[in-house]
Amino acid sequence: MLTRIATRLGQRRASILSRCLALAVAAALAWPARSAAWTSVLLPALSPFLAIGSGLAARAAGWIALLALPVLALGLVRPRWFCRYGCPVGLLQESIRRCPKSRPAPIQRRPRLGPGLVLMTFAGAVLGYPLFLWLDPLAIFNGFWNAGRQPWTLPSVAAGLGLPLLLLLELILPRLWCHRVCPLGATQDGLAMIGRQLRRAVRRSSARSQPISAGGRLPPARRQFMAVCAGLAGAGFMRHVYPRPSAPPLRPPGAVEESRFIGLCVRCGNCAQACPSSIIRPDLGSSGWAGFLTPILRFDQDYCREDCRRCHQVCPSGAIARLSLEEKRRRVIGLAEVSLDACLLAQGRECTACLRRCPFDALDMHSPDGGFSNQPRVDLAKCNGCGACEAACPVRPARAIRVRETALAHPQAAR
Amino acid sequence: MKQLMTRRQLLRLLAAAGLGPAIAQRTVADLASPAAARPKIAENQLAPPSNRPCYPAVMRDGRVIQPERPLAVIEETEVLVVGGGPAGFAAAVAAARAGARTALVERYGYFGGQWTGGLVLLVISSHAREDGRLVKVLQGVGGELLDRLSKIDGAIVHHKPDQFNPTTDPEATKFMMDEMIREAGVKVFLHCWVADVVMEGPVVRGVVFESKAGRQAILARVVIDATGDGDVFAAAGAEHERRFHAIGLVHRLGNADRAGLESLRANGIKSIGSIEPLPAVKWINLRGPSTDCLDIAELTRLEMEHRRSIWLRAQQLRQKPGGEPLFLLQTAPQLGVRISRLLAGVQQLTYEEARQGRSFPNTIAVGGAQNAHHRGWPIPYGVLIPRTLDQVIAAGRCICVDEKLIEDMRLLASCLTTGHAAGAAAALAVKTGRRPREVDIAQLQQLLLRQGAYLG
Repeated sequence: MLTRIATRLGQRRASILSRCLALAVAAALAWPARSAAWTSVLLPALSPFLAIGSGLAARAAGWIALLALPVLALGLVRPRWFCRYGCPVGLLQESIRRCPKSRPAPIQRRPRLGPGLVLMTFAGAVLGYPLFLWLDPLAIFNGFWNAGRQPWTLPSVAAGLGLPLLLLLELILPRLWCHRVCPLGATQDGLAMIGRQLRRAVRRSSARSQPISAGGRLPPARRQFMAVCAGLAGAGFMRHVYPRPSAPPLRPPGAVEESRFIGLCVRCGNCAQACPSSIIRPDLGSSGWAGFLTPILRFDQDYCREDCRRCHQVCPSGAIARLSLEEKRRRVIGLAEVSLDACLLAQGRECTACLRRCPFDALDMHSPDGGFSNQPRVDLAKCNGCGACEAACPVRPARAIRVRETALAHPQAAR
Repeated sequence: MKQLMTRRQLLRLLAAAGLGPAIAQRTVADLASPAAARPKIAENQLAPPSNRPCYPAVMRDGRVIQPERPLAVIEETEVLVVGGGPAGFAAAVAAARAGARTALVERYGYFGGQWTGGLVLLVISSHAREDGRLVKVLQGVGGELLDRLSKIDGAIVHHKPDQFNPTTDPEATKFMMDEMIREAGVKVFLHCWVADVVMEGPVVRGVVFESKAGRQAILARVVIDATGDGDVFAAAGAEHERRFHAIGLVHRLGNADRAGLESLRANGIKSIGSIEPLPAVKWINLRGPSTDCLDIAELTRLEMEHRRSIWLRAQQLRQKPGGEPLFLLQTAPQLGVRISRLLAGVQQLTYEEARQGRSFPNTIAVGGAQNAHHRGWPIPYGVLIPRTLDQVIAAGRCICVDEKLIEDMRLLASCLTTGHAAGAAAALAVKTGRRPREVDIAQLQQLLLRQGAYLG
């Protein structure tokens, strides 16, 4: 069908135009004119791979999952329609593939990894750890644009490298990603097959028409079985065996339990980009290799505002739960801790920067010796680790009051 | 041989011969000039007879009544500054330098208020940080004082170009304030405690103060309330709020350079106090309980309790190994009153506005950052001006800011800069014949910049 379109110039022009339009819309959604807009959630939410994987893992689906329905429905009737006309990564790859007029791709001999990845991810998702959710091309696309809006630091550059790497891959091994690896493409192949089965079943029951030739091929059942087993084993390992610190790193409030979070997070960078305080940064190691590029909080410039839950609104995978403002305010990120050796107040300097800044009234002045020395005291029942004290602390280079990781930072420990 | 006289008689004779002329000489001299006989010092000790009228309070129907009485006006001036603390000092110098006839009334015998008498010493928030570089917001009169102190050995520390929050020596600061006040030509009244205001209708015309000379008055065109506690605007009935805050007492330890710091540290004493310009002296803060500084019973109690606990603490320190050479050098002459009355001004500056660095068209000073870690915050002129009361400008720690920002505003640097602005504004009001609230802001800002102030 593609070749037929290519022969007709007018149709080809229309096709190119429509694809450019799709690309522009995708970029505009990921990079809206207004900073910290919620539109960045729309593009990744279109992906049925992401919606099914995160829905299975979270055992719940919000309204955002509805956005994946059109693509899912189209995938049942038109094989890989979204890949051809909607996917911005595919469109970009195709355009750079055309530019050097390279030789046709010898991808026929490469193994088809996509279906295996999808099966492993969905199987893992049943155990709460969708292993390769982060390979979703729409999340990778968003990650690039979101990183572009951040200040240029090593973590932000690393977070944006996904798309350039895919384009580089396209130059070296054309079409390999789309046809052999991409889990979103493989999901659509699977959907197309299901669609065919459904239609066949419908026609058999009603019209008894001729069987349709099998177009998209699925891997042998043995491989399917092994992929499912590998997915289950991988998820089990990640959730129960993979070593984890006793206290999870500082995550955006509403982040699901740590062992599921690093699986559910697709590293799209939406939360970091949407955060009005710019305190969400991609992690480069503090949460282990499995947590590479997951969002962690840094309070050196600003704090987690008590009236904000933008990161909840833009998370496409549900790694950051959609909490009500009241729930979010009670969710513990970490707990403030004072270093008395550095604290100005403890040195008789009358500094009350953190006490004044605390939005939750969780700090008071304490004197252990009748007033000769004073120090801020943290009310652990009120502190939720928003970091306002740390951001306000005038001590440099290391702050005298810092938000520390705590085992209380857990959805079950919400106050 | 018969002796003419016994040995004892001889001795008597000799003694009489010596004493007699001595007594005689003195007596004759006295007779010759009676004035010279009186020792010279006695003349100076005899004050002229007092013509001070007596109007004692009287008991009438079981109540104590102060009879109506005329007050002697001992000075008529253009700008009158009440209070010689950091704000009052800066205001007086700025007003006098701007060409206004200026008088300054101070209840104690020295300038500096909490800075020197309260031994605060540490000039916090002298700087801010903008785009990563240090910006000195404490300029103008206060900045000049610090610069002049830095020319005296042992008068100031942490006052190099890349440093902030200097600490000054109290005696050097008092001396330099005296010098600058004298050079500026301010007429000074020390040991005078302002007790009331002189009103003419809704306008403040001067103040009434108590001293050893009794109750007297000074009239002025503009009065600057740099009392810290807002005594002037409160007496005039201006709207204000009262706040309780910690009241402590600073003390200093001597011989700190001889103490065995290692041994003390081994015994759990991490630090014996903060740095002062003199290496032998360490500075210790005491925050104290939050209470009402307008309650004399509280002030009395705190003064005695604080001094007792400081004495005991110093003795404890002396008994620790390494602490033997230490001694209690001084408790502060003044209790450390931090906040009491806050003016209800025509404009209130809030903590949020200040932290956002909101700019104002009527900026007259810039507040700094503790530890110079954030940008400076513009201070608008309206926070110094009472809502309805006229001819009064507030300065220092009693101006119109919210309860969070006052923690920054009460610090020395902010008191010096708002004091400078109030002094310049008062002089300008007098020169242009306008009320302080109607002073031309552009002219005021030009004057402040000419006087070296920093406006951002």
